[in-house]
Amino acid sequence: MNFWFAVFRQAGRNLRQTWTSQFMTFLTVSLSVLIFAFFYLIYTNMLGAGDRLSDDLRLIVYLEDEPGPQMQQQLRRKIENFDRVKEIRFISQEEAYERFAEQLGEDSDVLADMPKNFLPASIEIVPLKSLRGYNQIKLFSEYLANLPGTEKVQYGQEWVERFYYFTRLLTIVVLLSGTLLILTATFMVAYTIRLTIMGRQDELELLKLVGATNSYIRTPFLIEGILQGFMGSIIGLLALYGLFQWISAHFAGPGLLNVFHFSFFSPVVIFLIILSSICLCSLGSYTSIRKFLRL
Amino acid sequence: MIEMIKVSRTYAPNIKALSDISFSIETGEMFFLIGRSGAGKTTLLKLICNMETPSNGLIEVAGYNINTLRGKNLAHLRQKIGVAYQDFKLLSNRTVAENIAIAMEVSYKNPRAIRHRVRDLLEQLQLTDKYDTITSELSRGEQQRVALARSVANSPRLILVDEPTGNLDASTTERVMSLLTRSNKAGATIVIATHDASIYQQGTHRIMELRDGNIHSLTRGGR
Repeated sequence: MNFWFAVFRQAGRNLRQTWTSQFMTFLTVSLSVLIFAFFYLIYTNMLGAGDRLSDDLRLIVYLEDEPGPQMQQQLRRKIENFDRVKEIRFISQEEAYERFAEQLGEDSDVLADMPKNFLPASIEIVPLKSLRGYNQIKLFSEYLANLPGTEKVQYGQEWVERFYYFTRLLTIVVLLSGTLLILTATFMVAYTIRLTIMGRQDELELLKLVGATNSYIRTPFLIEGILQGFMGSIIGLLALYGLFQWISAHFAGPGLLNVFHFSFFSPVVIFLIILSSICLCSLGSYTSIRKFLRL
Repeated sequence: MIEMIKVSRTYAPNIKALSDISFSIETGEMFFLIGRSGAGKTTLLKLICNMETPSNGLIEVAGYNINTLRGKNLAHLRQKIGVAYQDFKLLSNRTVAENIAIAMEVSYKNPRAIRHRVRDLLEQLQLTDKYDTITSELSRGEQQRVALARSVANSPRLILVDEPTGNLDASTTERVMSLLTRSNKAGATIVIATHDASIYQQGTHRIMELRDGNIHSLTRGGR
């Protein structure tokens, strides 16, 4: 019999003897992981959706007059003075008219009596990926509004703003829920180990007297913490995966989820969540061992 | 095996359990500690196995100053000391076999060898049918024998026994003593604290009598 066989058997005995409190802790850890991972999953998907939507982000600068080639050069220079952009396209009044007609499709005959220059000329600017933060876009649009001959700047301000505040709120929810649930899980594990230690004082004393080494006595408690973290996170993630599958199956179709292309965690993220859970539960266990297991 | 030099033990507020005790016990010796209740026998055994620390003096066991040993070194020395406590220190929710096995498990003995040894000891102490019995369901006499079996299970080099025959009838006492004698013949040093004159008077072993925490006499039995 070697050390690891002995301590695993001892951990098994501990789990068997205190299975009710162990089960409650296991449930707490599972629920904590489930709740945190749920918010984190929404958060990461929102970030992904934001990223995809920002690919379509365009700033439209409506101009008072159609710019000549020299003016176009000047405007281009001024725009690039702010920062490098991916693309700048000048849309003449005629081109704007044709686009609008195309968009109207069969109803384009409503434009029959309209002059071809009734729409303003504009500049379509596609910013670089590095310039797609909410504040940067806002600053950029303010800069563009002050360009000579600019009438109005549009980029779906309201939508971008709402999305920005929503992801910010989600970040706070993820951080807050994460912190609270981490504390809950760690304290629950620490408390369970403490109860186990308190309930087994006689045995621990005897083990000491018959010559058990400190690591022989301590390691089973640490294994309990690791097991709680591992099993709790696995069950929490499985429950989340089940929930994810259910939502995907029931809300599939041309709905919101399809727009956002919801996806589950990557294997790396799953591994990191399990690892974090194990580390936190081990920490809880270790704290109780240091505090209550006097050898 | 055991060397005690001017060892004292005082409990708060100022109760002297032992004062200036000096003696030595040779390796392989069977040594009897006698004296009335409160004379200091149990305290002396507790000092030898480092369950308690002396207020003064030096205690050496197998060449080690037992009070300066810590961690692994202390654990390894304790694996070589078997103790049968007066209050038995049995785990009341565990079986007889588990209670005996614990002494061997800490030194990572093979599980099959442990089972074999436990059965052998239970047979010697007439407890074969109690293998899977929870110790809280045993009588005092049976519990005493389980505690004794645990103390010899790991074949320790030193066995400390506190009142081994207190709850036993004559024939069981004989079985217990023959188990201890066998261990002694196998090379173990044995220290027995007892009131029971029948177990030390017939032999030629050394007997130390304690009175009020002092050595009253150190004689050889059978004289």
